Amino acid sequence: MANGILDIETASRLRRFYFRSPSRVRGRKAGIHKSLYKGISPDFLEYKEYNKGDELRQVDWRLYGRHDRLYVKKFEDEVNLAWCILVDSSASMGYGEGGSQKLRYAESLAATLAYLLLRQGDSVGAGAFSGKELSIIPPRAGNSYITPILEKLESLTPSGGTALMEPLLKALEVFKQDASFIILSDLLTDESEIEKSLQLLKAAKKDTVIFHVLHEDEIDFGFRGPLEFLDMESEEKVIVDTDAVRDGYRKRIREFTGRLKLLCHEYESRYVLSPTSRPIEESLIEIADK
Amino acid sequence: MNFSFLNPLFLIGIAAVALPVIAHLISRKSGAVKKFPAIRFLIASQGDASARSRLKDLLLLLLRACVIVFLVLVFAKPALFSFAPAGSGGPKALGIIVDNSFSMGYGNNFARAREKAAEIIETLPDGSFGIAAPLVAGEEGRLSPSSGKEALRDQLSEIKISNTFADNEDRLEEAFSALDGAPGQTKEVVFITDLRKNGWQNEKIERDWLKIIDVSGEAAQANRAVTGIDASYGKDAVTLGLSVSNFSDKPEESLLASLSAGVEELSAYLDIPPGGTVLNEFSIPGEYISGDKPFDKARDRSPGDARGTFREVTAVIPRDGLAVDDTRYFVLSDRDDFNVLIVDGDPREDARLSETYYLARAAETISEISGARITVKDNDSFLDEKLSGYDLVFLANVGDMTEGSAKELGELAARGGTAVIFLGERVRASSYNALLKDLLPAELIAEEERDVKIVPAPEPVFPKQIGERLSQVGVRKHVKAVPSPGAEVLLGLEGGDPFMIKKSFGKGSVFLVTSTADTSWNNFSITTVFLPVVKSILDLPGSANEGRRNFIVGDAIPIDASDEADRIEVINPSGKRHVIETSPALFDKTYEPGIYTVRESGKDSYKFAVNVDPRESNLEKLDIAPEKPGAVNASGLVKVYRDIWRYFLWGAVMLFISEAVARAVFS
Repeated sequence: MANGILDIETASRLRRFYFRSPSRVRGRKAGIHKSLYKGISPDFLEYKEYNKGDELRQVDWRLYGRHDRLYVKKFEDEVNLAWCILVDSSASMGYGEGGSQKLRYAESLAATLAYLLLRQGDSVGAGAFSGKELSIIPPRAGNSYITPILEKLESLTPSGGTALMEPLLKALEVFKQDASFIILSDLLTDESEIEKSLQLLKAAKKDTVIFHVLHEDEIDFGFRGPLEFLDMESEEKVIVDTDAVRDGYRKRIREFTGRLKLLCHEYESRYVLSPTSRPIEESLIEIADK
Repeated sequence: MNFSFLNPLFLIGIAAVALPVIAHLISRKSGAVKKFPAIRFLIASQGDASARSRLKDLLLLLLRACVIVFLVLVFAKPALFSFAPAGSGGPKALGIIVDNSFSMGYGNNFARAREKAAEIIETLPDGSFGIAAPLVAGEEGRLSPSSGKEALRDQLSEIKISNTFADNEDRLEEAFSALDGAPGQTKEVVFITDLRKNGWQNEKIERDWLKIIDVSGEAAQANRAVTGIDASYGKDAVTLGLSVSNFSDKPEESLLASLSAGVEELSAYLDIPPGGTVLNEFSIPGEYISGDKPFDKARDRSPGDARGTFREVTAVIPRDGLAVDDTRYFVLSDRDDFNVLIVDGDPREDARLSETYYLARAAETISEISGARITVKDNDSFLDEKLSGYDLVFLANVGDMTEGSAKELGELAARGGTAVIFLGERVRASSYNALLKDLLPAELIAEEERDVKIVPAPEPVFPKQIGERLSQVGVRKHVKAVPSPGAEVLLGLEGGDPFMIKKSFGKGSVFLVTSTADTSWNNFSITTVFLPVVKSILDLPGSANEGRRNFIVGDAIPIDASDEADRIEVINPSGKRHVIETSPALFDKTYEPGIYTVRESGKDSYKFAVNVDPRESNLEKLDIAPEKPGAVNASGLVKVYRDIWRYFLWGAVMLFISEAVARAVFS
């Protein structure tokens, strides 16, 4: 059952890719992410004049011979990182059929990413938000932790509205230590709330990746003739001559994604547009270290 | 043209215009409901598209509604209709007589009459036969019906206004008779006229087949006219009498009347009371008159001075609504006048009971045209009268006849005059036979009392229209007579007795009518043929027309030509030359008023004047209730429809195509 949303083939193809935080983090365990602290990694960082209390084994004696002064060599430290994967399970994510359903696509993407993150030694916590609610399992490391994550993701059903702030605040309560946030959502909510959310994450010094999950219909709007549309969250109805509004709609959705990209850039988050027709692999590669 | 529907109930279908709207709404509502997340972008985009969409929707809705409306109209059968004489529902035979007498020249009456005729032609049902002819016939010959509107339009376009008038009833009867041979269930004649009194013998004419349409704009049309010019010859001067009439109910004050005689210009200001006539005389010295007679004395004088001489006179008054009678022409004749004597053998105190009442009225009517002077005398006066001053003598029931009076009659005829003898109870056959033995066209036998009709002679001498109506004349009593050798029976009676016999005597003629001139033995004098017969007698060759130089439009004019003339030409006022036969020299193309010139063998011989009949100048209307043009539902008029639903069908097809194109363009 767990294999249903986990794309093993994609995961195996991406096994040599690593997903690193662009920031230094306070990891407790060894990992692949650069630590905020100097450590014991082979990577030289800087020289520092010796002070009382510095370990003598870190003194560069050759430099002392040339300059007659004591300098201590500092090295990078590499630690692991906690990842918080949040999937939008609002009603709007229920659009689409089968594998192209946005929620299904987001689950699959989240599951595969969680698998890869666990493999690289990071701890991963996963959750879903709908409306102002958040249900989340705390981060753990270890490959075996994929099972509860998958179970959590598979249990999601689309319902409720899309809100970001409240769930994020709750998630930040859980992920007090350094963590990177991965949000998979269609972001069909107020742009001001999105901006506030990104602002919040930046203030909380959380590296953030936004996977903007949209169905192909939402991008191309390939409908024909007059149709009555029912909003999946607000139940609002509108009768639309799809032929007449197509161009306007496409323009607006392009502008929307463009603004989101700009917002993410402004708040040092990464934005990945992930149409459900796009292979998961491609979306993941965008955030991986090549 | 008016508009109507033949199947108006189908107009209920107009309600179907709501269908496109309903269909549009239903199609929008009944479209699949689609759950969609990004609806806010749709709503925003719909705002942009709504203006264009509204335009498209409106246009398509309009086109679809129009398609439905047009289809409904196709079924409702729209039709244009106009009012046409009753019975025009199916193919018919219709005679359209357009009054082209010169009174129709008043204002735009004639143009309106032609328009109305054209309208009636357009309303004729398919398969109809018709005649479009003028009231005053031209040279078109016998009327015959034509099929097809085009032919009628052609006939109508040929109708021109004339300068005379005709006997309306006669022409209308002729038109109706001409329809006899035409197919069609209904036969009728439409007379489009200004309803002037002149031309009607019977003002109360009523025929089932006759519809009269009045196109005159007003009940009364004021008109003034130069109604006469005559000349009286004095010892050494000629007096030209100019008659100007005012046919209106308002007086004419200081109306300038000008008379042009050669280089002499004479004028006078006339005050004419309403409905009155003023005679103004202009005197011109005889030396200015060209020719030999009657100024024998003047001939011995020196010829006219530098002003020259003249024979033609033109009188003019200021133009009014009817211009043709504002000018009159006159040519001085070698004859000074034309005198008619009517001898009443049975005069009564009540003039209407007198023997010559109807005869005198007829002669007076003719005198208005010809300028003849009429004198009526009783039997006793006649016996003492010298007839040398007369050109025509009517004897009506003259019982007393002396040798002297018989001799006078003989001399009258011998010198070219005409005697017309009506019999009666006072006439003694033996006396007449004895005294007028050589003069009388027939020997009188005895009175015979039986009801008989007149039958024309095998070779009619009267115009056709007279001959056809002679059957109206009923004779209860007549005098049997045996025509003399050389006499010609002009009219006979059923049973073989003669009714009117003519005999040439000397240079003149003698007519004998074997019945009375009043209504005691017959109704001849009160029938519509009496006046034309009397006039025809005057016009017959050998009558007293010789020397006349003034005629009425339409007159057939005997040309005074010399025996040696090998070629006779008559040049009309427009300069058109007509070559006429030398024997008999008769010119009948007097269509326009003015001065005509007669040329013999290439040289000018003499001139004569032709004028419009002054009777037609009186524009008084006939008091009958005609069909008014355009009168809706007027009695005797029916609606004549012309289908136009085909145009709407084509319109619906075009709209349907337009809708498809518009849909394609917008999509």
